[in-house]
Amino acid sequence: MSDVSPLEAEVAKLIVRTLNLKVEPAQIQPEQPLFNEGLGLDSIDALELSLAISEFYGYQIRSDDPETVATFASLRSLCKSIEKNRTK
Amino acid sequence: MNTAALLGPYHPDRVLAWENGHSITYGHFLSEVGALADLLPEKPTVINLADDRYRFLVGFAAALVRGQTTLLPPSRAPGALAQIAREYGTSYCLVDGTEKVEQLPSYQIPKGTWSPTYTAKVPQIPIDHPAVVAFTSGSTGSPHPNSKTWGSLVAVARSTGTRLGLKTSEHMTVVATVPHQHMYGLEASIMLPIQHGMAFHVGRPLFPEDVRLALAEVPSPRMLVTTPLHIKACVTASSRLPHVECILSATAPLPSSLAKQAETLFQTSVYEVYGFTEAGSLATRRTIAGDTWHVLDGITLRQESDRCYLQAPYLVEPVPFPDLVSLQGPHRFVLHGRGTDLVNIGGHRGSLSDLNQKLNEIEGVQDGVFFLPDETGTSVTRLIAFVVAPGKAAEHILSALRKVIDPALLPRPLHLVANLPRNETGKLTREALLGLLQELRIQDRHGA
Repeated sequence: MSDVSPLEAEVAKLIVRTLNLKVEPAQIQPEQPLFNEGLGLDSIDALELSLAISEFYGYQIRSDDPETVATFASLRSLCKSIEKNRTK
Repeated sequence: MNTAALLGPYHPDRVLAWENGHSITYGHFLSEVGALADLLPEKPTVINLADDRYRFLVGFAAALVRGQTTLLPPSRAPGALAQIAREYGTSYCLVDGTEKVEQLPSYQIPKGTWSPTYTAKVPQIPIDHPAVVAFTSGSTGSPHPNSKTWGSLVAVARSTGTRLGLKTSEHMTVVATVPHQHMYGLEASIMLPIQHGMAFHVGRPLFPEDVRLALAEVPSPRMLVTTPLHIKACVTASSRLPHVECILSATAPLPSSLAKQAETLFQTSVYEVYGFTEAGSLATRRTIAGDTWHVLDGITLRQESDRCYLQAPYLVEPVPFPDLVSLQGPHRFVLHGRGTDLVNIGGHRGSLSDLNQKLNEIEGVQDGVFFLPDETGTSVTRLIAFVVAPGKAAEHILSALRKVIDPALLPRPLHLVANLPRNETGKLTREALLGLLQELRIQDRHGA
């Protein structure tokens, strides 16, 4: 798992803890889809996850941002958006 | 023939919808409805999948004008849509994007191509016309249709407006986080506005920041039509929302503490609406004022042995409550909990027996059961499933389930087990399932 960045490892833990998932954070592949077929997340998760992200990184996710669909595509894309928009 | 107008007060220049800061007037709306009604195919029923609230309303109203019935599928899962399509084979679809339902012809709702004529008259719709059919998940496995007459939709909208003290002159604008294809969304974000000369935002904000931006796009006074889940998100994010006159919440019970936080943080009044598909919205309460629900005007309640029934002029017969309630006279009641078969996951409702039937219909599943564990912590509690399916992977069963049930109701996790702890009469008790869950958790810890 050498290709997982420290932020990706941290956000994977945040996802598992926030959503009570029954997977180990290290099992989330950075490029695996988070929603539907991949990790199976839905809009309730998106809402809960957005709160955790705003609390930890000070980044308020919006859906009218053209990047949002891409943001939630995978752990990697989510981390890229967090890196770009974080305020803490 | 008794009729009720499509719109409450009609002023052609008044704003009906806000889209990206642009306004669409009532006059423009009626022109679009007239134009679309002429183009609709001659079919009795329509599935309106439009995501845009205004496009949906144009399609819904045009269907009403043509004497057609709008079907409200229980979810957008492809299997759920296909089932409705099979049962209503002479339907067609109205869309505003690329969605479609296999086997049904699709028509686009045109976007703003009609110039307003302002000569349009407000259509009169027969009150006994079946305006929509909403589906509930029955215990039989196939969705149970609930037909709603135009008269009942109008009556509920008017009595809800009266209860909330809505004045046409105030020209309130609704921002809704709920889908308009569900009964609550249809009632509170479509029918309530059009029967009171109000406006709405065409979008459906999800994240707290979306809600803030949508509210900021529309003029004051504003009403937020939402759910406990979104209220909690906005409170947790300490959103600085533009001023809202009132917040309306439904789909799940709103904790009084959360209502109080929202009232303080957003300087507003939080009301809850209680209803269920068979009866529509039927009661309201100001959450911080206490547990008692007050039924809408015209509704009366009565107790018959251990069940409660409600009666209203627009209901053909008394309808039993699916939830446990105790009456405080004919117009007030207290809610004690959901019936044991009904689950509500973040506002997405389902019937456990229906979910179990769908699970057991999956190829390779020998036995299986859904289970709602006790609520813990702060996040939404999800369903769990225990499944006996030798030789099958959990992912195989999950992807089969994903085709037929609402994604929010998917089990998380799905445990594959050797057998289910059925008792000698074949029953699965809650205690036995909790025991099984405990056992699996212990195994997990040892394995880790």
